[in-house]
Amino acid sequence: MKKDSILYVVVFTFLVCAAFVFFLALANEATKERVAANRLFAERAAVLDALKIPYGSPQEALDQYEKLLREQPVPEGAGAEKAYRYEADGKTYFAARVTGAGLWGSITIILGADSGLERLTGLQVVAQNETPGLGGRIDEAWFRDQFRGEKIGPRGIRIRTGAEAQGKGDPDPDNGLLDGVSGASRTSQSMQSIVNAGIEALRAIAGGAR
Amino acid sequence: MSGKAGKILKDNLWTNNPIFIQILGICSTLAVTNSVRNTLIMTVGVSLATAFSSLTLSAMQAAIPRKVRMIVQVLVISFYVILIDIVLRAYLPDVSKQLGPYVGLIITNCIIMGRAEAFAAANKPFLSFWDGLTSGLGYMAVLVSIAVVREVLGFGSLLGFRVMPQGFEPWTIMIMAPSAFFLVAFVMWWAKTVQAKAAVKAAAAKAGPKPAPAKA
Repeated sequence: MKKDSILYVVVFTFLVCAAFVFFLALANEATKERVAANRLFAERAAVLDALKIPYGSPQEALDQYEKLLREQPVPEGAGAEKAYRYEADGKTYFAARVTGAGLWGSITIILGADSGLERLTGLQVVAQNETPGLGGRIDEAWFRDQFRGEKIGPRGIRIRTGAEAQGKGDPDPDNGLLDGVSGASRTSQSMQSIVNAGIEALRAIAGGAR
Repeated sequence: MSGKAGKILKDNLWTNNPIFIQILGICSTLAVTNSVRNTLIMTVGVSLATAFSSLTLSAMQAAIPRKVRMIVQVLVISFYVILIDIVLRAYLPDVSKQLGPYVGLIITNCIIMGRAEAFAAANKPFLSFWDGLTSGLGYMAVLVSIAVVREVLGFGSLLGFRVMPQGFEPWTIMIMAPSAFFLVAFVMWWAKTVQAKAAVKAAAAKAGPKPAPAKA
């Protein structure tokens, strides 16, 4: 068969695609369980972190999750995908998984707060597709840690952007103000609306639980 | 090392470096170089993807019809990149999460397709593998140097460990993409100057000893 005949081109392309796709499918199948376990751990660890529950090893995280957390029904229209309830020292805390639009794709976070919605307990970014090195830095510790114990104002929280942003985190937990990522104002603004939507969702969840 | 392999190494690291001579793969240079760790993982990924796709394409070259040459190149490159992505997701989930879409974007790194088209299409498989690997190393050398400067000045740390004194005020510009533009330009300037000086020297040596300056 001639190398430039249509039949050869079609058969060759088909076979080459089939062969490479076969090996990819094989690799995917071989690592499927591991990837699923990683995902489960990541998701549960994020909920624990958002609620400020300490854990050591990955196994301990899974155990803590089973022991301490309960899944909470999400009231209709609350805007959260999942909700969790945690009780400690006579206080109740809630966490919600919320997705909103970022600059390039959707951003999924887990946000925790006390049941009176006075303060946030923490924030974890579960999935994002922002520019690495710029918007992607919302996943860095300095950014996430600002949300620990932050006071929730009457209109939620506000994230500083543009020239106002220091890019190193806001140290005051009582002002309801957080520092955005320098060079990523749009992502920071998106985070502000996602977190505020999360706060509203938590309010509905906590209200529904009473 | 045989003469040809040595020449390829020197070409890809210096005389024909993908970043400062061919100006390829600049997009990822701007994006990932604000942290040394991400840069290392990204450049290792690019080196492996370039090496293995060059090897595979060179081994297959006799069977590939010209009409679908580029389609097959993209297929093979995506195959290796997706494989890297699967391995990262299964064994290094943290890194995979941090690099996010950038692993998938290795596919569009011009260096890989450039080497497949310019070298692997006309050379033996093992030499092509070596060419791909050294091109990746040339890319890595420049990116890691830029990343060291950016991380130290932008965060005051190196590979996550603090290296600058406590009072050091981080240079925010170093974290942002524009600083990579300046630094890449500096690297190009430096490399071209050194190369041009070496060329002048070599030409002078060839022409023989300098004539004595004429008296006024």
